[in-house]
Amino acid sequence: MSMYQNYYAQPSYGSQTYAQPPVANGYHQFPPQASYPVDPTTFRRDFSNRLSELTMNSRPIIQSLSMYAHDYVRFAEIVAQCLETHIRRVPPWMKLPSFYLLDMISKNIFEPYARLFSTFVIPLFLETYQQVDEATRSKMVELVLTWRTGSPTGKELFGVPAQVQIERSIWGETSSSPASTSQSNGFITKSQVLSELEFTLGQKERAVQANPSDTTSQNHVHVLHQLRRLVEAGVSQEELKQILSQLRNLMRSSVTPTISQPSQVAPTSTSQWPSQSYTAPQTSLPPAATYPYAYPAIKTEDAVPSKPILPISSVPAVPAGGFANLLSSLVKSGILSNTGTPLGAGATAKDESSNSVDEEREASRTHRAFVLRHPVQLSTAGITKGRPPISEMLYDHLASQCKQCGLRFPDTVSGKKLLEDHLDMHFKQNMKANLNIGRGHSRSWYTSVDDWVHDTTDRKGKGRADGSRPLSGKAAAAADAAKRDAELRAQFVIVPPGDEAKPISCPICKEALKSEFLEDDEEWVWRNAIKKDERIYHATCHAEASTNTLASRLLNTGRSRSITPEAQVLAVKKSSPSPESLAGVKRKAGDDHSPLSQFEGTPPSKKLAISA
Amino acid sequence: MTAYGNLHMAFEQMRVRSLRKLHGSPAPEGEPDSGAEPPRVLILGPENSGKTTVCKILVNYAVRSGQGWAPMLVNVDPSEGGWAVPGALSTAAVSGPIPTSSPANPLGSAATSAPTTLASNALLPLAYWYGHEDTKRNYLLMDRLIRNLGLHISDRFENDPEGQTAGLIVDTPSSFASGPGATTEHRQKLIKACIDAFKINVILVVGHEKLNVEMQRTYGSRLTVVKIPKSGGVVELDRSYRERVHNYQIHNYFYGEVITPPPGIKSTTQGGETLTDLTLAPSSTAVNFSDLKIYRIGAETMAPSSALPIGAARVISEMQPVLIDPSQPGSGLLNAILAILAPFNTDERERYDEEILDLTVMGFAVITNLDIAHKKMTILSPTQGSLAGKTALVGSYEWQE
Repeated sequence: MSMYQNYYAQPSYGSQTYAQPPVANGYHQFPPQASYPVDPTTFRRDFSNRLSELTMNSRPIIQSLSMYAHDYVRFAEIVAQCLETHIRRVPPWMKLPSFYLLDMISKNIFEPYARLFSTFVIPLFLETYQQVDEATRSKMVELVLTWRTGSPTGKELFGVPAQVQIERSIWGETSSSPASTSQSNGFITKSQVLSELEFTLGQKERAVQANPSDTTSQNHVHVLHQLRRLVEAGVSQEELKQILSQLRNLMRSSVTPTISQPSQVAPTSTSQWPSQSYTAPQTSLPPAATYPYAYPAIKTEDAVPSKPILPISSVPAVPAGGFANLLSSLVKSGILSNTGTPLGAGATAKDESSNSVDEEREASRTHRAFVLRHPVQLSTAGITKGRPPISEMLYDHLASQCKQCGLRFPDTVSGKKLLEDHLDMHFKQNMKANLNIGRGHSRSWYTSVDDWVHDTTDRKGKGRADGSRPLSGKAAAAADAAKRDAELRAQFVIVPPGDEAKPISCPICKEALKSEFLEDDEEWVWRNAIKKDERIYHATCHAEASTNTLASRLLNTGRSRSITPEAQVLAVKKSSPSPESLAGVKRKAGDDHSPLSQFEGTPPSKKLAISA
Repeated sequence: MTAYGNLHMAFEQMRVRSLRKLHGSPAPEGEPDSGAEPPRVLILGPENSGKTTVCKILVNYAVRSGQGWAPMLVNVDPSEGGWAVPGALSTAAVSGPIPTSSPANPLGSAATSAPTTLASNALLPLAYWYGHEDTKRNYLLMDRLIRNLGLHISDRFENDPEGQTAGLIVDTPSSFASGPGATTEHRQKLIKACIDAFKINVILVVGHEKLNVEMQRTYGSRLTVVKIPKSGGVVELDRSYRERVHNYQIHNYFYGEVITPPPGIKSTTQGGETLTDLTLAPSSTAVNFSDLKIYRIGAETMAPSSALPIGAARVISEMQPVLIDPSQPGSGLLNAILAILAPFNTDERERYDEEILDLTVMGFAVITNLDIAHKKMTILSPTQGSLAGKTALVGSYEWQE
C-alpha cells in the first residue's frame, strides 16, 4: 500500500489531457464541484442505487457514475467498496460494464481511485474472468492491455505487480501463486507472447484497413506476421523477452500521446534497441513511449520503489542472428519511433495540409518557369521549329506513377499526397465495385445547367478555392447550406439501452429514424437526431422547423418528406395514375437528389402532366 | 508530332501566364503582362484530317502535365458522339486523360452509376440536341445551339476563374471547313458563331491551305490562325464505317463498353477499370403516349427557302417546334432516338415561345416499340426513372439493336 502511495504520489495530472480507450472525455477539466453536505451513509445508499442501474454497457450511465465519483472524491473508499460489492454480487453477464466503470474512473480520475481499486482488482478480475464467457473474456483481456499504459504517466494503471499478476493468470500460469509471481524471474510463456502478438497484429491490421496507404502500418503487419511465425516455431526465453518488450513498446507508442521528442527517437532508430537507456530526469513524468519496459525491471522496481524508472541496462544483450535482423527491421520500420505510429502520421498530415497551398503554388511556379523557358512562337512556321520538351514534362517531372491505372504524379510532397489520395480513390472504388456485384449499373442522367455551371469541384486550385477565391453568392450560399446540413446530420443521439429495436419516428416529418452502430464509440445511435423535451427529432427537421415559420415550411417542399404536397396532388388528380408516374413518386422517396426526381414536384411539370 | 508538341508548349505558356495574371504575380522583365489569355482554340479541317485526334492530344497533354488543368472540351460535330450520342452538341471539362482505345467513346464517357476510377469515364457533359448528322440541314438551329453552349461555358468560367485558365478546345465538323459553294455563307456563319460564342483566340487549321488563307484573311487581324500539318496516321473512313461507329456509340451510351476478355482470362482491367463496371444495364419501360411530349424542330423535310415560289413563306419555319402525335401513322418515331429534355423554367413569367430550343438534354432514349392500338410505346432509357411530364425532341437519327 505504501509503495503505491509512493509510486503514484506524482504532481497533479489534472491539467493533462489524454485520450484513453475505450472512453475519452474531457470532464476531468471541470472544476470540482463544491462539496454538498452529504453524509457518507446517504452517499453510499445513493451510489449503490445508481450503480444498480448499470446492468448493461451504456456509456451515459457509466459516464454519469464516473462523474459522480469524480465529484465525491472524498468518499472514494465508499465508491471502491460499493463497486467491489456490486461486481461480486451481479451475475457474470453484468460484470463487464462495471469493469468499464472501474476502468473509466481509474483512468480519468486516477488518484485516489486507482490506488484504492488496486487492493481488490486482482482477485476480482481473475474471479470474474473465470466466470464469464469467451466473448467477455476477450473484452476483459483488451481492457487489461489498456491498463498497461492506463495511468496518466502512461504506465501500469494499477501498478506493475498487479498488471503482471493479472496477465500471468490470464495467459495460462494460473498455478503460480500470486505471492511468487512478482518474485519470479520473469519467465515468459510462448502463449503469452503469442496472444500479445495477436493483439498488436489486430490493432495494426485495423489501422491498415482504415488507411490502406499507410505503408508504415503495412510494414509493421508484415514484420509482426514474421515474428509470429518465428515464435510459433519456437524460440528461446531470451528472445521471447525481447520480442515482448518490443511489442510493448510498439503498443505504447501507438497508445500513448506523443510526448517524446524526436531527439529521443533518433538514437533509438539507429542504435540497437537493448543498449539504449532511458535518461529522463527522475522527477519528471517519463515519456513512456520510449521507455522500453522489460520484465527484469520489475525486480528492481520492487526493490527500490522510490525510483520506479530505472535505466534498463539489465536487459541482456542482443542475440545474434535472424532475430536481431528482424527486430532491427522492426526498429527501422519506425515501430519504435512515435512518428511512425498512426498518431504521428496524422500530425504530419495536418502540417501538410496547411503547407499544401504554398507547396502547390511553389509547384505551379516551377512549372511556369519551366514552360516559359522554352519559347514557342504560335504560328504556322513557329511550331515546326525546335523539339518540344514534352517527354520531360509528362514523364521526367512526374516521377511517381500509380500502379493501377498509370497516372503520373510529381515526386514532391504535395505530389505524394495527390498519389495517396488517388490510391485511396482506387481503393474506395474497388470496394464499391466489390459491394455492387450482381447489381447492374446504368448511365446517369446528365446534370442540369445550373449544376453544370456550378460544378467546379474537379478543377484546378481545389485547395485554394476554399479560402482565397470569392465564391459567387449562390454557390457560397449553397456551400454554406451544405455545411450546415452536414453538421446537423452529424449529430446523433445515443439509443437508450434496450430501445435498439423500437421503431421511433420524427414528430415533424413522421419518418422513421434509422439507428446505426457507431464503431468508434461502440454505441447504437440515431443519426441526424436531436433530443428536445424528451422527444427525438431529426436534427435537420428540427433546425428547419425552428428557423422557418410554419407557412414557409409548408411552401417549402421539405427535403425529407416522402411525398411532397405537389406530388400528392399530381397522383390524386390523375384519374388513373400510370405505373410509371407512381414509380416516379416512389423514386423520389428513395433518392431525393437525382436530377430527374427533383423536377417531379415542381409546378410546371405538374401542370404539364395534368394537362397531358 | 513535333508540331503538336510545340503547340502544347505554346498553349501551356498561355495557361501559366493567365494563371499568373489571375494570381496577380508580377510578370518578369521584358514580358508584356497584357494579353495573358488562356488558350481558346477552334480546330477546323476537312474530313479525315485528324481534328478530333488533335483535340484529344492537346487535351491529354494538358491534363497529364500534373498541374491540375481541366480544359473544357467542346464538341460541335453532330456526327461525332462525344459524351452523348451522335446528333448532339456537347461540352465537358476533362480532368483526366481520355482513353483513345475505342471509337465508341472517343472523348471519354459520361458519368454512370458504376464506380469508375478514371476521371474521363465519369465526365459530366452539358449536351444539346441537334438531331441530324449534317450541319447544313438546319444551320439556324446549329447556330443557336452553339451560342447556347457558349453562354453556359462563359457562365461557368465566370464562376471559376481558375478553371478558366486551363482553356477551351473546340472540335468542329468537317462541313465547317469545306462544302459546296452554295453553303459557304452558312458555314462562315457557323464559324463566326463558334468564334463569338466561345471567345476563340486561336484557330488551328488542320492541313487545308485554302481554308487557312480564308481564315487568315477573315480573322487574322484579331486572332491567331495557325495551320498545322495533318496527322500522318489518318485513315480515310468510308460511310459504312462511320455508320457502324454511330451505332456502336449509341449502343455504348445505353449498354456501356462491352468488352469480352480473351478466353482463359478471368478478371481484367482496362486502364485500372474493372471491365464489368463498364457494362451498363438500361431500362425498358412502356409509357402512355400522353406521358411524353415529343417535338420535332422544323418540318421533317424542308426545301431551302430559296427554292420556294417567290412570295411564298414556309408553313413551318426551321426553328418551330412541332408536336408529333405518335398515334399518327408515319410519325417516324419507331426506333427514333429521343433526346429527353430538361424541364421548363419553373418561373412561369420567364417562359417563352421557343424555350424548347434552349433546353439542355438530360439523356437519350429510343422508342423500341409503338403500340398504336393501346396508345403505348416502349422506351429504352439509360436508367430507371419516370419520363412522365417530360419533353423530348426527335431528330433524324434512328437506332436498332
